[in-house]
Amino acid sequence: MFKKSMITIMVLIFVLVSFSMAFASEGPEGNDRKGKYTYRKVYKACSETGGVESATPTISPADKTMGQWKEIFENKDLDEVGCKDNWAALPDEDILDIYSYFYKHASDSPTPAKCK
Amino acid sequence: MKKRYFIMTGLIMLAITALALSFQAVYASTPPDGEEAVGRTLAKQAVKNSQRWTTVDHAKIEALNQDFTSGEEITKACLSCHSEAATQFHKSIHWTWLASGDKSDMRYGKAGYSVNNFCISGNAMEDKSCLSCHPAWNKKGVQGEVNCLQCHNSSGFNFNEALGDIEAFSKDGDPDTKEMMKDLQNEVKEAVVKVTFPTRENCGDCHFTGGGGDGVKHGDLDTSLTKPNRMLDVHMGTDGKDFSCTRCHTTVDHNIAGRIYTNPAVATRKSLLEDDLAPKITCESCHSSEPHKNDSKMNDHTDVVSCQACHIPTYARVNPTKMWWDWSKAGKMKDGKPYVEKGPFGKPIYKSIKGEFKWEKNVVPEYFWSNGSQTSTTADDVIDPAQIVKVSHPVGDRTDPESRIFPFKIHRGKQPYDKVHKKLLAPLLSGEKGYWETLDMNAAIEHGNKAIGIPYSGEFDYVETTYAFPITHMVAPKENAVNCTQCHIRENSRLANITGFYMPGRDKSYLFDTIGWLSVLGALAGVLLHGMGGFFTRNGKEE
Repeated sequence: MFKKSMITIMVLIFVLVSFSMAFASEGPEGNDRKGKYTYRKVYKACSETGGVESATPTISPADKTMGQWKEIFENKDLDEVGCKDNWAALPDEDILDIYSYFYKHASDSPTPAKCK
Repeated sequence: MKKRYFIMTGLIMLAITALALSFQAVYASTPPDGEEAVGRTLAKQAVKNSQRWTTVDHAKIEALNQDFTSGEEITKACLSCHSEAATQFHKSIHWTWLASGDKSDMRYGKAGYSVNNFCISGNAMEDKSCLSCHPAWNKKGVQGEVNCLQCHNSSGFNFNEALGDIEAFSKDGDPDTKEMMKDLQNEVKEAVVKVTFPTRENCGDCHFTGGGGDGVKHGDLDTSLTKPNRMLDVHMGTDGKDFSCTRCHTTVDHNIAGRIYTNPAVATRKSLLEDDLAPKITCESCHSSEPHKNDSKMNDHTDVVSCQACHIPTYARVNPTKMWWDWSKAGKMKDGKPYVEKGPFGKPIYKSIKGEFKWEKNVVPEYFWSNGSQTSTTADDVIDPAQIVKVSHPVGDRTDPESRIFPFKIHRGKQPYDKVHKKLLAPLLSGEKGYWETLDMNAAIEHGNKAIGIPYSGEFDYVETTYAFPITHMVAPKENAVNCTQCHIRENSRLANITGFYMPGRDKSYLFDTIGWLSVLGALAGVLLHGMGGFFTRNGKEE
């Protein structure tokens, strides 16, 4: 009986750990495609109010690794990206989409963002 | 006293004669100031009208004013007016990636058995990384629809990305994404009408970055030619003539002049005075075969020395170019991971997925006789692995009237070959089964050779190879051209390896040197005696 319980618990732990690892490795679950255009809109709006010089984003997802973007977005440490006020006005869902875009196209991702 | 008088007179006469001869020699090779070289005058005339003109405003074309959802729809719109364009283009080398060569039964070209010592093979269009430069929308090789905009759009807009997003958004129920899709379609609509003759950006997108990066392949073609100054290229310089590529690479039925081993440029080496519809692909087309000032000694060189040999003193003058690629070093790891090591010029000198590299800037070309054709060692040719294999090499020799001494970049490296079949191998690099993903060279070769249909024994090693690129862009201003003494000199002549004939200044020949000196001394003695005879006779008469 004890042996059976131990095996069940071990299997359960294994399944849970595997599931959580798989989930964690996929990163944020937003709409990365939508995030790309939301990010461009944020940047454009920011340039119109003088927050940044360029109307097109100068920071690319491929500028950092997945781990670096994870740290930045999960700590909400977006100063480096600029346009603080515009970010603050964004709903969480949009930020998640943008986070997904940066994460899924980071330099060490399977599909790093390119200029073209 | 009398003896001394004779010696003094003789020396003065000798000095005067030498001065006169020197002056005459200089004068003969330097025409009066203000006279323009014939070749320059002709070239100016040939390119007098610098502005293109058109009878179409594409923004007013109804077929282009629609909400496109795919690239194929855009092409359909183009073909609704340019009905034969795709049919023509399907037969061109830019589409088929197949070329003819010196063996009629061989499949040459990226889609055939041709290899190089960079990324080695296109694997019959199986390598997806190479296909990024194939001008089809679906990037599936010749099965797709032509992407006219790759060469004929000046907007710089990323149509592939936008159309992919439009397709994805169209299947999404989210109202936000529907709005984004509409915005994107408007952006596509605005960009698609910016139709143009191919610009430097259009051509350079692939030709400046061939081999996987800026300046990797050619040495005389890199992104510095997108907006060059006159010092880099007198023809393309934005502060000079500001030529686009198509100014010289003229086109007939979408076949572009300039291909080196299918249609050697020299096959159409003629002046526009001979044929006003001739391709303007050689220097002679505009500058004629005697381009320098009248009586210039340089005009006596043009039947054996190419214009490029003197007028492109060095290549890769702004950006560095890759000179060495050793595949045998690929696959090393750091902390169990592939890595990249950067060196001079900020360029990678090692990549686990590619091997070891060397880069150089301001490179002096190597010179060979060339008639414009190149030999090509393909993946189906038997090689001698004990020798350095010339994957590509110029054809020509000094007895061939079409051959000229021509400058080349020689890219050296090591690449895999089949130890049993003695043939160069074609590893697949990109994609799930490619070497860049698996770092398993044997498996990559199996997949790559299978794609091109050439058997692989299963045993490979590495062989040293060379690949020759003719240097023909980056033409320097005339004041920076190679001067006489860089070739006509005993030590370190640029043409040290062009042997088999006597070249004044560089070579020593007892026979020629003796005859030469005897001629000089004989001429001097003759002039001296003649002068002295006249001098003394006239003196006698006057007295």
